[in-house]
Amino acid sequence: MAEQDTSADSPAPEENPYTQWYEVQPGDSLWKIAKQYYGDGSLYTEIFKANQDILTDPDKIKVGQRLRIP
Amino acid sequence: MKPRSVFTGFLTMLLAAVMLVGCANQMEPAKKAIADIEAAVAAAGADAAQYIPDQLGAVTDQLADLKAKLDQKDYKGVLAAAPALLTQAQGLAGAAASAKQAAEAARAAALEAMSAEWTTLAGSLPAQVAALESRVNILSKAKKLPANLDQATFDSVKAGLADAKGLWDQATAAQAAGNVEAAVTAARQVKEKADAAMATLGMTAS
Repeated sequence: MAEQDTSADSPAPEENPYTQWYEVQPGDSLWKIAKQYYGDGSLYTEIFKANQDILTDPDKIKVGQRLRIP
Repeated sequence: MKPRSVFTGFLTMLLAAVMLVGCANQMEPAKKAIADIEAAVAAAGADAAQYIPDQLGAVTDQLADLKAKLDQKDYKGVLAAAPALLTQAQGLAGAAASAKQAAEAARAAALEAMSAEWTTLAGSLPAQVAALESRVNILSKAKKLPANLDQATFDSVKAGLADAKGLWDQATAAQAAGNVEAAVTAARQVKEKADAAMATLGMTAS
């Protein structure tokens, strides 16, 4: 489940301007987000890989974090 | 034959001869007037046909009328109309040169605009296609597609992506060959297809 975001996360400097972003909501998990965007929660690893600059653990996402949805 | 009749006959013949000589005197100037007009039209060259076809057509139509008058031996008619037409014909070369210059300036401006458009498209399309391809590759691994996407629609998105990539190859090849117009035309199609595919997948910037 998402924790409260207390850090000032910022996207990497060289972003693809066509990247889709998602802001983490209370109750979110990467699985849930992957299911929403890909139809298959098991593809959460794709989101985790695309956000390794701000995520260290796929089970620890924070409310308010902006995640790339590749 | 009575002397009066002889005199009348002589007078008639004299009058006819005078008229004939008069006509003959006008024939050469009429021919020359037409030749001068033809020379002026020829001097305007191919540029007139390319850049001021209507103006050229108006002159050649009137020239044809003059030639018809010449064939009908209406030399007076030819000589009456020739000066105005010669003036028009002599204006063709200058008008064609001006029109050519304007067309070339417009072409240069269009090319400059296309080059600018190419710079914009070349700066954004690879990233757009990469983002789309990334999403398509991930969705291709999904055991089940999202609720708002059926298999047929997803297949059309994949086809659109393949088309966009092929068109992008064409665009870059055209650009490399110096054909900016073809490059921009292909790149516009890439953008159209990529925009449509991204919209179908709900890939809106947020």
